[in-house]
Amino acid sequence: MTASLLWKRIWRHRLFYLFLLPGIVWFFIFSYVPLFGIQVAFRDFRFTGGFTGSPWAGLKYFRQFFDYYLAGDLIRNTLIISAMKLIVGFTMPIVLAILLNEVRSLKFKKTVQTLSYLPYFVSWVVVVTLMQRLLTPYGGPVNDFLVASGAVKDPIQFLNNTTWFYQIIVGSDVWKNIGWNSIIYMAAIAGIDQQLYEAAKIDGAGRFRQIWHVTLPGIRGISVILFILATGSLMSAGFEQLLLLNGPATAAIGSVLDVHVINSGISEGRLSYAAAVGLFQSVIALILILTVNRIARKVSDVSLF
Amino acid sequence: MWNKRLKLASALLAASLMGGALAGCTSGGNNGGGNTGSSDSGGSAGTGKTVTLKILHNWNGSSGGDVDMTPIAKAIEEKTGVKVEFDYTKGSEVEKVNTIFATQDLPDIYTGPAWGGELDGIIKAANEDQLVDISGKLANYPNLEKEIAKENMPPALYDKAEGAFGDKRYLLYQNQPATDKDAMDWLYGFYIRKDIAQKVGVDPQSVKTKDDLYSLLKKIKDAGLKENGLPVIPLGGFHSGWAVTIGNTMFYGADYADKGDGTLEHSFFTKAYEDYTLYYRKLISEGLLDPEAFTQTDPIANEKVQQGRIAILAAHYPAILDASKEYVKAHPGSDYVPIGPLERAGAEPNRPADLAIQGNNVTAITKACKNVDAALKLLDFLASDEGFKLVHYGIEGVHYDMVNGKPVAKKEFFDKFATDTTGKAKKNEGFGIGFESMTGQDRTNSLGGDIWADQDRIAAMENARKILRPNGIKVISAYNPGDVISKSPEWDSLKPSMDQISDVWQQAIFAKSDADALKILNALRDQMKKTGYDDAMKYVNDNLKGKEVVKLGLPN
Repeated sequence: MTASLLWKRIWRHRLFYLFLLPGIVWFFIFSYVPLFGIQVAFRDFRFTGGFTGSPWAGLKYFRQFFDYYLAGDLIRNTLIISAMKLIVGFTMPIVLAILLNEVRSLKFKKTVQTLSYLPYFVSWVVVVTLMQRLLTPYGGPVNDFLVASGAVKDPIQFLNNTTWFYQIIVGSDVWKNIGWNSIIYMAAIAGIDQQLYEAAKIDGAGRFRQIWHVTLPGIRGISVILFILATGSLMSAGFEQLLLLNGPATAAIGSVLDVHVINSGISEGRLSYAAAVGLFQSVIALILILTVNRIARKVSDVSLF
Repeated sequence: MWNKRLKLASALLAASLMGGALAGCTSGGNNGGGNTGSSDSGGSAGTGKTVTLKILHNWNGSSGGDVDMTPIAKAIEEKTGVKVEFDYTKGSEVEKVNTIFATQDLPDIYTGPAWGGELDGIIKAANEDQLVDISGKLANYPNLEKEIAKENMPPALYDKAEGAFGDKRYLLYQNQPATDKDAMDWLYGFYIRKDIAQKVGVDPQSVKTKDDLYSLLKKIKDAGLKENGLPVIPLGGFHSGWAVTIGNTMFYGADYADKGDGTLEHSFFTKAYEDYTLYYRKLISEGLLDPEAFTQTDPIANEKVQQGRIAILAAHYPAILDASKEYVKAHPGSDYVPIGPLERAGAEPNRPADLAIQGNNVTAITKACKNVDAALKLLDFLASDEGFKLVHYGIEGVHYDMVNGKPVAKKEFFDKFATDTTGKAKKNEGFGIGFESMTGQDRTNSLGGDIWADQDRIAAMENARKILRPNGIKVISAYNPGDVISKSPEWDSLKPSMDQISDVWQQAIFAKSDADALKILNALRDQMKKTGYDDAMKYVNDNLKGKEVVKLGLPN
């Protein structure tokens, strides 16, 4: 299609294209205008100079980050937590979508769906407060139950404890997002041609065989796309959740880049340093997306671009 | 026809969506201390026209009343021609300082804490031309001139916050005691529930050493006490660990210690700091100190106190009295009483309590101020005796009367305030809404005392004072090396490491073993050295040669 033809076609459907405008405006304001501020990472930010008038600092703040004795720990913690969230958080919604697809009672299905979506709309502040109340060793219902049932002798310190930290982080993340993330898989499953199931049944496939040979291949494309997108957030482990759930007892494994950026920028007033660390996160995320996208294109013919 | 209608409807929908998006992008209102002017802004003081000034009261948790204009605010407006609109901070004060200057969302007047990162942030703002230099105008405002006169400020702080700018003056330092009798001692310490001390058979005053305190905590733990079916926690504190760390004074005297050769080093590098860390690690690992103390919010901490679940509380006494009020009312005899006085590392037994009273508030006029003269007129009035009395005692004849030269609260208001547990009744009259922070030197006792204080509370404070301050108090006037190191050339690179000390200490006390705890401390020590600690300390030692330095101090 030539450029003039394309423009003619756009003009013909201009009303529909108008619907794109709010999205474009939103992205421009919130995703492209802030790119202008990236230069702060290379400047000694001064209140008087602002973004453009502060003196250049070169790579000073990047060097400062890599000289920071906990930089390695921060990167490692971020990657470990993100990877765990990616593996568990990516597969669990698929499992839930497949399980829900197999449920025949519409009422039960709708109830489970609604219940699983709800936590997505609850703020992390509320979730963490709830967890503190439920899991506290000082009369929390979970510990009361465990002690009363004889499962444990003494109450367990679930929070502020490295032994339980990863389970709590990943578990709460799955609990909060599983329902919401499963919606897209439910939609993909609904789009699978029913004749494929019929054909599989005629060939003697049971429920598991149908899932394996029809459902899973049917959602492969969307799964790969979502996986590629998810790898982009490998360098950010979840700011709110980690800020609220990490404490001094778990800092060795729970301090992550997102929280470090906010603390150094807002609490310590080191805006250039924070911008440098944030930019480092973004660059790594971009490299990860490009790499995984390339691998996916070669392996499965499915890719973002 | 239908096609046309569909097109029209689509166009309207698209336009409304876009409009909504754009509206969302604009500032939704004038919340915050922005420099948006009101209709009457820009007028000058003294011309009879009211000037509205926005003041950021950067004290976490401060708040106003339920009414738009309180009687005290109205009286201030009549006196000065300035109507005040307060913006209050919820959350970290340091973050707020950094945020307002970075985003240029500036109030007309800033007022906030005068310590630590808050003061550093406001000094940075002064250095970067964000505040108004008032040096040329001070002669017209004698009350302000007095509050920042060299003889009325702690010397090290004067050097840091006033003298550091040459002839320029940016900051107004406030709430430092005008006389010795105005010195406020908040009575920081460990306090035990009287009934629990009796149950475990320990006289709180017999607890003198760190070992005594440990034994007491152990006895409480071993007694297996329960309150409403829930276990009693031996030692607790308030939000984010405040102030369970006050046991540090049993191990070292102040933030900087003499190395033995007359030079100073940060206490973080001393053996005493390691002992202090390992002591607290023992408390945590043996279940004697509430492990949630460092991560809990104030409501959760207060809930624990109000349920009677904390045996020993570490904090200042007014906070403990407030938090335990309801429980004590329902359970007579369960009030918290002081422990000790406990030993202080390096202090002679008969030494008065060294209090780090250095004022607690700093006020500045920002470069966004609509009317600097009006701001100065307001601040000068508040710092006068008349302003001080208006803000603290109210309107004469309405809230209080002068009897034999002393202010006496009107019974009607005294009773009203005493019975209102929400504190709103007092705020609605104009008390406690932020003006107090800007009333110059503290003259509460010189001008007549706190006429609104509850008599039981005064008696409890007096009783605790007798126990905890057997040798009286001494307000520290010596130089604090912490103020000097911040002027060293290495400070920019060193500060991020030094800011970690408190976090690293908390990590160390949760370490799995003593060796791990020391490893955590040593890692930060190495980082501090790497970022210029040695040179910075040389700067401190050179600058403080021959000067009196704080070597013993208590929290206040």
